[in-house]
Amino acid sequence: MNITKEKIGEFLVLTLYGRVDTNNFNELEQAIGQVFEADEKKIVLNCSGLNYISSSGLRIFLTALKKVNAMHGTLHLCSMQPVIKEIFDISGFSTIFQIFDTQKEALE
Amino acid sequence: MKLNINRSLASRIVFYVLTFCLFLFIISLSVFYFFSKKQMKEMTYNYAEAITNNTVLKTELILSPITKIANNYKWIIENKRLSSDSIFGITRKIIGNNPEIVGCAIAYESFFFKEKGRYFAPYSCREKGNIKTFQLGSTEYEYFVMDWYQIPASIQKPYWSEPYFDTGGANTLITTFSMPFYSMHGKEKSFAGVITIDVALDWLTDIVSSVKILETGYASVLSRNGTFVTHPKKELMMNQTIFSYASEMNNPELRTIGREMQKGKTGFVSSTLNGVERVLYYTPLPSSNWTLAVVFPKSEMFLPLRKITVALIFLVVIGLILLTFIVSRIVSRQISPLEIFAKSAREVANGNFNNKLPDIKSKDEMKHLHDSFEHMQKDLSTYIEHLKSTTSAKEKIESELRIAREIQMGMIPKIFPPFPNLSEIDLFATLQPAKEVGGDLYDFFLIDDKHLCFAIGDVSGKGVPASLFMAVTRTLLRSLAPNQLSTAVIVNALNKSLSAGNESNMFVTFFLGILDVESGILKYSNAGHNPPLLVHPDGTTEFFELTKDIPVGLFDDFDYGEKVLNLSKNDKLFLYTDGVTEAEDAEEKLYSDQKLIDCVRAHFESQTKDLIRFVAEDIALHVKGNQQSDDLTMLSIVYYGNQDEGSL
Repeated sequence: MNITKEKIGEFLVLTLYGRVDTNNFNELEQAIGQVFEADEKKIVLNCSGLNYISSSGLRIFLTALKKVNAMHGTLHLCSMQPVIKEIFDISGFSTIFQIFDTQKEALE
Repeated sequence: MKLNINRSLASRIVFYVLTFCLFLFIISLSVFYFFSKKQMKEMTYNYAEAITNNTVLKTELILSPITKIANNYKWIIENKRLSSDSIFGITRKIIGNNPEIVGCAIAYESFFFKEKGRYFAPYSCREKGNIKTFQLGSTEYEYFVMDWYQIPASIQKPYWSEPYFDTGGANTLITTFSMPFYSMHGKEKSFAGVITIDVALDWLTDIVSSVKILETGYASVLSRNGTFVTHPKKELMMNQTIFSYASEMNNPELRTIGREMQKGKTGFVSSTLNGVERVLYYTPLPSSNWTLAVVFPKSEMFLPLRKITVALIFLVVIGLILLTFIVSRIVSRQISPLEIFAKSAREVANGNFNNKLPDIKSKDEMKHLHDSFEHMQKDLSTYIEHLKSTTSAKEKIESELRIAREIQMGMIPKIFPPFPNLSEIDLFATLQPAKEVGGDLYDFFLIDDKHLCFAIGDVSGKGVPASLFMAVTRTLLRSLAPNQLSTAVIVNALNKSLSAGNESNMFVTFFLGILDVESGILKYSNAGHNPPLLVHPDGTTEFFELTKDIPVGLFDDFDYGEKVLNLSKNDKLFLYTDGVTEAEDAEEKLYSDQKLIDCVRAHFESQTKDLIRFVAEDIALHVKGNQQSDDLTMLSIVYYGNQDEGSL
């Protein structure tokens, strides 16, 4: 898995590539943890490169969401591949996350 | 075990050094030998030449005055009118004045002095210290036919006779020099007689036998005829000529040499004499036309060189032996630590990391090796210690995990058919655990005599946390379900309990259903779980519609809904966890919803147990032996409905 960071306007955009599974979800957890340590409150997770996510990965998303909510920030997800979108739909996570089709919409 | 690592290395180095030295030595010695041999030959030849010339000079010093004396007296005899008797005085005088002369005759032609008649040859010789004088010629001694007279008379030139032993006296070797003289009549001259001078040759023998060349080289004088005048072999002297000797020895080469000598030539020849190859140098004695020859064995010429060479070889052999010894000692000493290193490495392999290393004081590669080795020992030691502790910790954890798994698996019902008395339904379920402890669960039980409660769930993540969460979920379900027929109420209660204090945000996707086995009414709540598959008796399938409900354990105030579905007779439910649809092959290709549907459709008429087995086999076919990474949980229920009604 690869993660790139980019600051666009008020948002910090993290773009995820590859898989998030039981073996490497810690990397995502650490990356997001660093973002909070840096006191970023507006975060976009661009999922365009993400092609698999396990329940462990979903847990990291959820933890991030809870943290953002606690500090009154925003967490936007965008550009999901259909397989990922389906997982979010099945698990009902689509209802609790703000998911956008494109990064541009997520930044507005 | 004694290692021979340095010995073989040392012997290899010694071998290379020795080979090179030997090669160098052979080349040097060959060059030295070749040039020295040439030099030595030249020197010996020069020496032979010089000593010969010197000997010739010495003999000439004695022989040439004889010629002069004869010439002087010849002049007196020819130019003065001398009385016949005064000739006796002259012969006496010649002997008296010249100690080397042993006899002297002045022999006249017959009737030169009328008064002396046919024979007149006054002769003086030494006898016991005195000089004796008498007249030689007589009818018994016709001197005109003797060689000493006849030859110079006929050739009209001075003549040196062949040497001979003096018959009268002390057996001394003598040669006679004869010179013709004439009587003058105005300008005309006529042969008048011969002056002879006898010379003893003891001195010649002395001079020639004193010549030494190399070890056994010698000199020899040969007369004009080739007779050996002097020779170290006494039996040859005056008995053999070079020609007779040549035929005796069957050596034609020697005969050729003899001829060259007679011609008065000078030169070097090598020939085999008496079985030894010898070098011969010969040159004429100018006054007598005799030959002086020096002979020396060729082998002796190079004897000193051979001695030096042998000494050199001996020294070099000793040198090489010393070199071998020293080089092997040096190399052995330099690499001796390697043996200890090798031993240490063996010890390290046996797990002993504190083996003593050789003490290296130098600051070379060996020191570098020593430091690296020491470093390796320390690192390995620490690493092994660490490994030991982590391994034991891991073993402990693994055994605990195994127990946890056993406890977990013990919690789910595994007796099939579970309700043999309940004819309206049949049910089968499996949980095929992954290697690691996972968090899948299924459960079913009867709430009362006609309500079947069943559930399937999947806890986020894996390992002990997931299995604990699963256990909690299952226990909560069992405690909440009795007396409650609303799935929404149960799930909401479950969610509240699980969300409270769930700092780690674990969650569980959960499907809960309550089936009224008499009416076929199914009430269900789906908290983010994969939608179950509904299989109709005609083989068509459909997924349950998605709810917008999230997994339980996340937000305690989330409100879960409840849905209702009417099952027809022989409808089948197929519930599963994502371990099924997300089973991966080696290329990370997922089993997928579509394959699941295909497989279920293909076996829609099968019993629940068989259906689950078929799906499991199809998944196994898909993953092709790739290790199962997630629990595989399947639960299938067939609704037969009221059998009595059906039979009506």
